[in-house]
Amino acid sequence: MKIIGPDELVFGVDSVEACAAFIADFGLKHSGEKDGSGFYEALDGTGLSVYRKDDPNLPPPLPTNSMLRNTIYGVEDQETLDQIRAELSKDRQVRIQPDGTVEAVDDMGFALGFRVTRRRKLNLLPERINSPGAAPQRGFNEIGANEDAEALPRTLSHVVYFVPDAAKMEAFYVERLGFTLMDRFTGGGPFLRPALNTDHHTLFLIQTPEYMKGLEHFAFHMQGPTELMLAGSRMVKKGYQSFWGPGRHKFGSNWFWYFNSPMGTHAEFDADMDIFDDKWEARELPMKTEHSQIFLLEHREKWAPGG
Amino acid sequence: MSADTTRPLTDVVCRLSDLEDGKAYGFDPFRKGRDTVFVVRRGNKVHAYVDICPHYGSTPLPWKKNAYLTGDAQHIFCSAHGAIFDIETGVCVLGPCLGQSLTSVQVAISEEGEIRFFLEAHDKLICKPVVTN
Repeated sequence: MKIIGPDELVFGVDSVEACAAFIADFGLKHSGEKDGSGFYEALDGTGLSVYRKDDPNLPPPLPTNSMLRNTIYGVEDQETLDQIRAELSKDRQVRIQPDGTVEAVDDMGFALGFRVTRRRKLNLLPERINSPGAAPQRGFNEIGANEDAEALPRTLSHVVYFVPDAAKMEAFYVERLGFTLMDRFTGGGPFLRPALNTDHHTLFLIQTPEYMKGLEHFAFHMQGPTELMLAGSRMVKKGYQSFWGPGRHKFGSNWFWYFNSPMGTHAEFDADMDIFDDKWEARELPMKTEHSQIFLLEHREKWAPGG
Repeated sequence: MSADTTRPLTDVVCRLSDLEDGKAYGFDPFRKGRDTVFVVRRGNKVHAYVDICPHYGSTPLPWKKNAYLTGDAQHIFCSAHGAIFDIETGVCVLGPCLGQSLTSVQVAISEEGEIRFFLEAHDKLICKPVVTN
Protein backbone atom coordinates (compact mmCIF):
# COMPACT_ATOMS: atom_id res chain seq x y z
CA MET A 1 0.00 0.00 0.00
CA LYS A 2 1.61 3.26 -1.08
CA ILE A 3 0.94 5.12 2.15
CA ILE A 4 3.34 7.99 2.85
CA GLY A 5 2.50 9.03 6.41
CA PRO A 6 0.14 11.05 8.60
CA ASP A 7 -0.90 14.23 6.76
CA GLU A 8 -3.29 15.67 9.32
CA LEU A 9 -4.54 15.09 12.86
CA VAL A 10 -8.02 16.35 13.67
CA PHE A 11 -8.93 17.34 17.24
CA GLY A 12 -12.30 18.12 18.82
CA VAL A 13 -11.30 20.32 21.73
CA ASP A 14 -12.49 21.88 24.90
CA SER A 15 -11.19 25.37 24.13
CA VAL A 16 -10.50 26.34 20.51
CA GLU A 17 -9.03 29.62 21.73
CA ALA A 18 -6.45 27.92 23.98
CA CYS A 19 -5.48 25.41 21.29
CA ALA A 20 -5.22 28.10 18.62
CA ALA A 21 -2.75 30.07 20.74
CA PHE A 22 -0.73 26.98 21.63
CA ILE A 23 -0.50 25.62 18.07
CA ALA A 24 0.45 29.01 16.65
CA ASP A 25 3.19 29.36 19.29
CA PHE A 26 4.31 25.81 18.48
CA GLY A 27 5.04 27.18 14.98
CA LEU A 28 2.24 26.00 12.69
CA LYS A 29 0.59 28.47 10.31
CA HIS A 30 -3.17 28.98 10.58
CA SER A 31 -5.27 28.85 7.43
CA GLY A 32 -8.70 28.28 9.01
CA GLU A 33 -11.51 30.32 10.53
CA LYS A 34 -11.35 33.64 12.40
CA ASP A 35 -12.27 31.94 15.68
CA GLY A 36 -9.02 29.96 15.55
CA SER A 37 -10.56 26.69 14.39
CA GLY A 38 -9.47 24.86 11.26
CA PHE A 39 -6.12 23.86 9.82
CA TYR A 40 -2.61 24.71 11.04
CA GLU A 41 0.20 23.66 8.77
CA ALA A 42 3.89 22.88 8.94
CA LEU A 43 6.22 23.95 6.12
CA ASP A 44 5.32 20.96 3.93
CA GLY A 45 1.55 21.22 4.23
CA THR A 46 1.04 18.48 6.84
CA GLY A 47 -0.51 19.67 10.09
CA LEU A 48 -3.26 19.68 12.70
CA SER A 49 -6.81 20.93 12.72
CA VAL A 50 -8.91 21.85 15.74
CA TYR A 51 -12.65 22.19 16.10
CA ARG A 52 -15.02 22.43 19.05
CA LYS A 53 -15.59 18.99 20.54
CA ASP A 54 -19.34 19.21 19.79
CA ASP A 55 -18.78 19.97 16.09
CA PRO A 56 -21.24 17.67 14.26
CA ASN A 57 -18.89 17.17 11.29
CA LEU A 58 -16.29 15.31 13.34
CA PRO A 59 -16.15 11.51 13.57
CA PRO A 60 -17.47 10.24 16.93
CA PRO A 61 -14.98 10.45 19.82
CA LEU A 62 -13.24 7.50 21.46
CA PRO A 63 -15.03 6.42 24.67
CA THR A 64 -12.29 8.02 26.78
CA ASN A 65 -11.25 11.63 27.23
CA SER A 66 -9.06 11.71 24.11
CA MET A 67 -9.60 14.80 21.95
CA LEU A 68 -8.19 13.12 18.82
CA ARG A 69 -11.04 12.62 16.35
CA ASN A 70 -9.25 11.61 13.13
CA THR A 71 -5.84 10.56 11.81
CA ILE A 72 -5.65 11.31 8.09
CA TYR A 73 -2.96 9.55 6.08
CA GLY A 74 -1.52 10.84 2.82
CA VAL A 75 -1.12 8.23 0.07
CA GLU A 76 0.60 8.27 -3.32
CA ASP A 77 -2.34 8.09 -5.71
CA GLN A 78 -6.00 7.28 -6.33
CA GLU A 79 -5.10 3.65 -7.08
CA THR A 80 -3.83 3.31 -3.51
CA LEU A 81 -7.07 4.79 -2.20
CA ASP A 82 -9.01 2.21 -4.21
CA GLN A 83 -6.84 -0.61 -2.78
CA ILE A 84 -7.40 0.63 0.78
CA ARG A 85 -11.12 0.93 0.21
CA ALA A 86 -11.30 -2.60 -1.20
CA GLU A 87 -9.18 -4.04 1.62
CA LEU A 88 -11.03 -2.40 4.51
CA SER A 89 -14.49 -2.96 3.01
CA LYS A 90 -13.95 -6.68 3.60
CA ASP A 91 -14.82 -6.34 7.27
CA ARG A 92 -15.94 -2.80 8.14
CA GLN A 93 -17.89 0.18 6.95
CA VAL A 94 -15.92 2.45 4.63
CA ARG A 95 -17.21 5.94 3.73
CA ILE A 96 -16.02 8.13 0.88
CA GLN A 97 -16.12 11.87 1.52
CA PRO A 98 -17.04 14.31 -1.30
CA ASP A 99 -13.34 15.21 -1.64
CA GLY A 100 -12.41 11.54 -2.14
CA THR A 101 -11.08 10.90 1.38
CA VAL A 102 -11.61 7.25 2.34
CA GLU A 103 -12.84 6.97 5.96
CA ALA A 104 -12.90 3.96 8.24
CA VAL A 105 -12.19 3.00 11.82
CA ASP A 106 -9.21 0.85 12.85
CA ASP A 107 -9.38 -2.21 15.10
CA MET A 108 -9.22 -0.16 18.31
CA GLY A 109 -11.79 2.40 17.24
CA PHE A 110 -9.46 5.21 16.06
CA ALA A 111 -11.04 7.08 13.13
CA LEU A 112 -8.80 7.02 10.05
CA GLY A 113 -8.86 8.93 6.78
CA PHE A 114 -6.87 8.31 3.61
CA ARG A 115 -6.42 10.80 0.77
CA VAL A 116 -3.92 11.60 -1.95
CA THR A 117 -1.22 13.37 0.01
CA ARG A 118 -1.22 17.14 0.33
CA ARG A 119 2.32 17.25 1.61
CA ARG A 120 4.71 19.27 -0.53
CA LYS A 121 8.27 18.25 -1.28
CA LEU A 122 10.61 20.49 0.70
CA ASN A 123 13.96 21.77 -0.48
CA LEU A 124 15.55 23.34 2.57
CA LEU A 125 18.94 23.57 4.22
CA PRO A 126 19.83 20.96 6.83
CA GLU A 127 21.54 21.91 10.09
CA ARG A 128 25.16 22.47 9.15
CA ILE A 129 27.83 21.35 11.58
CA ASN A 130 31.56 21.96 11.77
CA SER A 131 33.17 18.70 12.89
CA PRO A 132 36.93 18.18 13.35
CA GLY A 133 38.25 15.55 10.97
CA ALA A 134 35.54 16.29 8.41
CA ALA A 135 35.02 19.07 5.89
CA PRO A 136 33.33 22.06 7.58
CA GLN A 137 29.68 22.47 6.63
CA ARG A 138 29.55 26.23 7.34
CA GLY A 139 31.73 28.68 5.50
CA PHE A 140 34.29 30.99 7.11
CA ASN A 141 32.65 33.78 9.17
CA GLU A 142 29.30 31.97 8.99
CA ILE A 143 27.64 31.94 12.44
CA GLY A 144 25.84 28.84 13.76
CA ALA A 145 24.16 30.21 16.91
CA ASN A 146 21.52 32.69 15.80
CA GLU A 147 18.94 33.47 18.48
CA ASP A 148 16.69 35.13 15.92
CA ALA A 149 16.63 32.16 13.56
CA GLU A 150 13.19 30.93 12.58
CA ALA A 151 12.36 27.53 14.10
CA LEU A 152 9.31 26.27 12.21
CA PRO A 153 8.13 22.66 12.20
CA ARG A 154 8.80 21.15 8.78
CA THR A 155 6.60 18.06 8.68
CA LEU A 156 4.26 15.91 10.81
CA SER A 157 6.57 13.13 11.94
CA HIS A 158 4.62 10.60 13.99
CA VAL A 159 1.80 9.77 16.39
CA VAL A 160 1.76 7.50 19.43
CA TYR A 161 -1.42 5.77 20.55
CA PHE A 162 -2.28 4.17 23.89
CA VAL A 163 -4.12 0.96 22.93
CA PRO A 164 -5.65 -1.90 24.97
CA ASP A 165 -4.45 -4.55 22.47
CA ALA A 166 -1.19 -3.55 20.83
CA ALA A 167 -0.75 -6.94 19.15
CA LYS A 168 -4.12 -6.75 17.40
CA MET A 169 -3.49 -3.17 16.40
CA GLU A 170 -0.04 -4.04 15.04
CA ALA A 171 -1.56 -6.83 12.95
CA PHE A 172 -4.08 -4.37 11.50
CA TYR A 173 -1.44 -1.85 10.36
CA VAL A 174 1.08 -4.45 9.19
CA GLU A 175 -1.20 -7.00 7.52
CA ARG A 176 -4.01 -4.79 6.24
CA LEU A 177 -2.20 -1.51 5.47
CA GLY A 178 1.33 -2.74 4.70
CA PHE A 179 3.21 -1.02 7.52
CA THR A 180 6.60 -2.48 8.52
CA LEU A 181 7.74 -3.35 12.04
CA MET A 182 10.92 -1.37 12.75
CA ASP A 183 11.70 -2.03 16.44
CA ARG A 184 9.81 -3.20 19.49
CA PHE A 185 9.65 -2.49 23.22
CA THR A 186 8.71 -5.74 24.97
CA GLY A 187 5.77 -5.01 27.20
CA GLY A 188 5.37 -1.71 25.42
CA GLY A 189 4.64 -1.98 21.74
CA PRO A 190 5.87 -1.76 18.15
CA PHE A 191 7.38 1.06 16.10
CA LEU A 192 5.81 1.02 12.62
CA ARG A 193 6.37 2.82 9.34
CA PRO A 194 4.23 2.81 6.17
CA ALA A 195 5.63 1.51 2.86
CA LEU A 196 6.59 4.85 1.32
CA ASN A 197 8.16 6.41 4.42
CA THR A 198 11.84 5.92 5.26
CA ASP A 199 11.59 7.41 8.79
CA HIS A 200 12.07 5.03 11.73
CA HIS A 201 8.40 5.32 12.63
CA THR A 202 5.22 7.25 11.93
CA LEU A 203 3.25 5.19 14.46
CA PHE A 204 4.22 3.82 17.87
CA LEU A 205 1.74 1.82 19.95
CA ILE A 206 1.81 1.49 23.75
CA GLN A 207 -0.11 -1.30 25.50
CA THR A 208 -2.35 0.15 28.27
CA PRO A 209 -5.71 -0.57 29.95
CA GLU A 210 -8.83 0.20 27.91
CA TYR A 211 -9.72 3.39 29.78
CA MET A 212 -6.42 4.98 28.72
CA LYS A 213 -7.06 4.58 24.99
CA GLY A 214 -6.07 7.71 23.10
CA LEU A 215 -3.17 9.81 21.88
CA GLU A 216 0.04 9.87 23.91
CA HIS A 217 1.63 12.46 21.65
CA PHE A 218 2.20 13.78 18.15
CA ALA A 219 5.55 15.02 16.82
CA PHE A 220 6.80 17.39 14.15
CA HIS A 221 10.26 17.22 12.55
CA MET A 222 12.51 20.27 12.99
CA GLN A 223 15.56 21.12 10.87
CA GLY A 224 17.95 19.69 13.45
CA PRO A 225 18.85 19.63 17.16
CA THR A 226 19.70 23.34 17.36
CA GLU A 227 16.40 24.39 15.86
CA LEU A 228 14.65 21.97 18.23
CA MET A 229 16.39 23.60 21.23
CA LEU A 230 15.47 27.06 20.00
CA ALA A 231 11.82 26.13 19.45
CA GLY A 232 11.55 24.40 22.83
CA SER A 233 13.29 27.22 24.71
CA ARG A 234 10.91 29.73 23.16
CA MET A 235 7.94 27.64 24.33
CA VAL A 236 9.34 27.55 27.87
CA LYS A 237 9.97 31.30 27.81
CA LYS A 238 6.34 31.84 26.75
CA GLY A 239 5.28 29.94 29.87
CA TYR A 240 4.38 26.57 28.35
CA GLN A 241 4.99 23.44 30.40
CA SER A 242 7.80 21.18 29.27
CA PHE A 243 6.95 17.53 29.93
CA TRP A 244 10.04 15.56 28.89
CA GLY A 245 13.28 16.62 27.27
CA PRO A 246 15.29 17.77 25.59
CA GLY A 247 16.94 14.42 24.99
CA ARG A 248 17.69 11.82 22.36
CA HIS A 249 15.83 8.52 21.92
CA LYS A 250 17.49 5.13 21.37
CA PHE A 251 14.90 3.75 18.95
CA GLY A 252 14.76 6.17 16.03
CA SER A 253 17.69 8.23 17.37
CA ASN A 254 15.59 11.36 17.16
CA TRP A 255 16.13 14.28 19.49
CA PHE A 256 12.92 15.03 21.37
CA TRP A 257 11.28 17.70 23.50
CA TYR A 258 7.69 17.18 24.64
CA PHE A 259 5.26 19.80 25.93
CA ASN A 260 1.87 19.49 27.63
CA SER A 261 -0.90 20.96 25.49
CA PRO A 262 -4.53 22.08 25.76
CA MET A 263 -5.37 19.29 23.27
CA GLY A 264 -4.82 16.94 26.25
CA THR A 265 -1.82 15.28 24.64
CA HIS A 266 1.88 16.00 24.28
CA ALA A 267 3.22 18.11 21.45
CA GLU A 268 6.73 17.04 20.52
CA PHE A 269 9.49 18.71 18.55
CA ASP A 270 11.77 16.04 17.11
CA ALA A 271 14.88 16.09 14.91
CA ASP A 272 17.46 13.95 13.14
CA MET A 273 15.57 10.66 13.02
CA ASP A 274 17.19 7.58 11.46
CA ILE A 275 16.03 6.48 8.01
CA PHE A 276 15.73 2.87 6.84
CA ASP A 277 15.15 0.55 3.91
CA ASP A 278 13.74 -2.97 3.74
CA LYS A 279 17.04 -4.55 4.79
CA TRP A 280 16.52 -3.42 8.42
CA GLU A 281 16.06 -6.16 11.02
CA ALA A 282 13.85 -5.14 13.93
CA ARG A 283 15.46 -4.89 17.37
CA GLU A 284 13.76 -5.64 20.66
CA LEU A 285 14.43 -4.09 24.06
CA PRO A 286 12.51 -4.22 27.34
CA MET A 287 10.34 -1.16 28.00
CA LYS A 288 12.56 0.50 30.63
CA THR A 289 13.54 4.12 31.18
CA GLU A 290 17.19 3.35 30.35
CA HIS A 291 16.11 2.27 26.85
CA SER A 292 13.87 5.25 26.29
CA GLN A 293 16.65 7.79 25.84
CA ILE A 294 20.44 7.78 25.50
CA PHE A 295 20.59 11.04 27.44
CA LEU A 296 18.22 13.60 28.90
CA LEU A 297 18.89 17.27 29.56
CA GLU A 298 16.96 19.55 31.84
CA HIS A 299 16.11 23.10 30.82
CA ARG A 300 17.14 25.84 33.18
CA GLU A 301 17.36 29.62 33.02
CA LYS A 302 20.21 31.02 30.96
CA TRP A 303 23.39 31.32 32.96
CA ALA A 304 26.95 32.55 32.54
CA PRO A 305 30.11 32.05 34.53
CA GLY A 306 31.55 35.07 36.30
CA GLY A 307 33.80 36.20 39.10
CA MET B 1 -5.38 11.54 50.60
CA SER B 2 -5.03 14.62 52.85
CA ALA B 3 -1.98 16.34 54.21
CA ASP B 4 -2.42 16.79 57.96
CA THR B 5 -2.67 20.11 59.75
CA THR B 6 0.16 19.33 62.16
CA ARG B 7 2.58 20.14 59.34
CA PRO B 8 4.23 23.53 59.43
CA LEU B 9 2.74 26.33 57.42
CA THR B 10 4.40 27.75 54.36
CA ASP B 11 4.84 31.49 54.00
CA VAL B 12 1.84 33.44 52.75
CA VAL B 13 1.44 32.57 49.07
CA CYS B 14 -1.31 35.07 48.26
CA ARG B 15 -4.49 36.61 49.60
CA LEU B 16 -8.00 35.32 49.01
CA SER B 17 -8.76 38.60 47.23
CA ASP B 18 -6.05 37.75 44.67
CA LEU B 19 -7.98 34.65 43.61
CA GLU B 20 -10.89 35.06 41.21
CA ASP B 21 -13.87 32.84 41.92
CA GLY B 22 -13.88 29.77 39.68
CA LYS B 23 -10.23 30.12 38.61
CA ALA B 24 -7.06 28.14 39.27
CA TYR B 25 -3.57 29.34 40.22
CA GLY B 26 -0.21 27.61 40.59
CA PHE B 27 2.28 28.39 43.35
CA ASP B 28 5.94 27.66 44.08
CA PRO B 29 6.05 28.00 47.90
CA PHE B 30 9.48 26.38 48.22
CA ARG B 31 11.16 28.21 45.34
CA LYS B 32 11.85 25.10 43.31
CA GLY B 33 11.66 27.10 40.07
CA ARG B 34 8.34 25.57 39.01
CA ASP B 35 4.83 25.50 40.48
CA THR B 36 4.37 22.56 42.84
CA VAL B 37 0.92 23.31 44.31
CA PHE B 38 -2.22 24.69 42.67
CA VAL B 39 -5.51 26.00 44.02
CA VAL B 40 -9.03 26.40 42.67
CA ARG B 41 -11.28 28.98 44.33
CA ARG B 42 -14.99 28.20 44.60
CA GLY B 43 -16.86 30.86 46.54
CA ASN B 44 -14.94 31.28 49.78
CA LYS B 45 -13.48 27.79 49.62
CA VAL B 46 -9.98 27.20 48.28
CA HIS B 47 -9.21 23.66 47.10
CA ALA B 48 -5.50 22.95 46.93
CA TYR B 49 -3.63 20.04 45.37
CA VAL B 50 -0.07 18.96 44.69
CA ASP B 51 0.70 19.73 41.03
CA ILE B 52 1.43 16.10 40.12
CA CYS B 53 -0.85 13.87 38.06
CA PRO B 54 -1.39 10.39 39.56
CA HIS B 55 -1.06 8.90 36.02
CA TYR B 56 2.75 8.74 36.03
CA GLY B 57 3.07 9.99 39.63
CA SER B 58 5.77 12.52 38.84
CA THR B 59 4.59 14.93 36.14
CA PRO B 60 2.70 18.25 36.30
CA LEU B 61 -0.81 18.99 35.02
CA PRO B 62 -0.91 22.35 33.27
CA TRP B 63 0.08 23.22 29.72
CA LYS B 64 1.03 26.69 30.77
CA LYS B 65 1.08 28.80 33.94
CA ASN B 66 -2.24 28.51 35.81
CA ALA B 67 -3.86 26.40 33.05
CA TYR B 68 -5.39 23.73 35.32
CA LEU B 69 -9.07 23.69 34.35
CA THR B 70 -11.27 22.48 31.49
CA GLY B 71 -12.69 25.17 29.19
CA ASP B 72 -15.95 25.34 31.15
CA ALA B 73 -14.00 25.52 34.44
CA GLN B 74 -16.09 22.67 35.86
CA HIS B 75 -13.19 20.21 36.26
CA ILE B 76 -9.45 20.11 36.83
CA PHE B 77 -7.69 19.04 33.61
CA CYS B 78 -4.36 17.32 33.10
CA SER B 79 -2.96 18.46 29.77
CA ALA B 80 -0.57 15.49 29.48
CA HIS B 81 -3.27 12.98 28.45
CA GLY B 82 -6.58 14.71 29.07
CA ALA B 83 -7.54 13.31 32.49
CA ILE B 84 -10.24 15.30 34.30
CA PHE B 85 -10.70 15.54 38.05
CA ASP B 86 -13.48 16.66 40.37
CA ILE B 87 -12.55 20.08 41.80
CA GLU B 88 -13.83 19.41 45.32
CA THR B 89 -12.48 15.88 45.83
CA GLY B 90 -9.55 15.65 43.39
CA VAL B 91 -10.79 12.29 42.08
CA CYS B 92 -10.15 11.47 38.40
CA VAL B 93 -13.55 10.99 36.75
CA LEU B 94 -12.36 10.39 33.17
CA GLY B 95 -8.99 9.59 31.66
CA PRO B 96 -5.90 7.46 32.15
CA CYS B 97 -5.91 7.59 35.97
CA LEU B 98 -9.61 6.89 36.41
CA GLY B 99 -10.46 6.49 40.10
CA GLN B 100 -7.08 7.80 41.29
CA SER B 101 -6.84 11.10 43.12
CA LEU B 102 -4.78 14.21 43.15
CA THR B 103 -3.00 14.70 46.50
CA SER B 104 -4.92 17.33 48.41
CA VAL B 105 -3.16 20.01 50.44
CA GLN B 106 -4.67 21.61 53.55
CA VAL B 107 -5.13 25.36 53.23
CA ALA B 108 -5.03 27.90 56.06
CA ILE B 109 -6.84 31.19 55.47
CA SER B 110 -6.27 33.88 58.11
CA GLU B 111 -8.86 36.45 59.15
CA GLU B 112 -7.14 38.93 56.85
CA GLY B 113 -7.50 36.49 53.95
CA GLU B 114 -3.83 35.44 53.84
CA ILE B 115 -3.39 31.98 52.36
CA ARG B 116 -0.79 29.45 53.47
CA PHE B 117 -0.43 25.71 52.93
CA PHE B 118 0.20 22.98 55.51
CA LEU B 119 3.17 21.54 53.62
CA GLU B 120 6.88 20.94 54.12
CA ALA B 121 9.62 21.62 51.59
CA HIS B 122 10.90 18.07 51.76
CA ASP B 123 7.43 16.54 51.38
CA LYS B 124 7.62 13.89 48.71
CA LEU B 125 5.60 15.73 46.07
CA ILE B 126 5.21 12.52 44.08
CA CYS B 127 2.35 10.01 44.19
CA LYS B 128 2.06 6.33 43.41
CA PRO B 129 1.60 6.02 39.63
CA VAL B 130 -1.05 3.99 37.82
CA VAL B 131 0.34 0.67 36.53
CA THR B 132 0.04 0.67 32.76
CA ASN B 133 0.42 -3.03 31.91
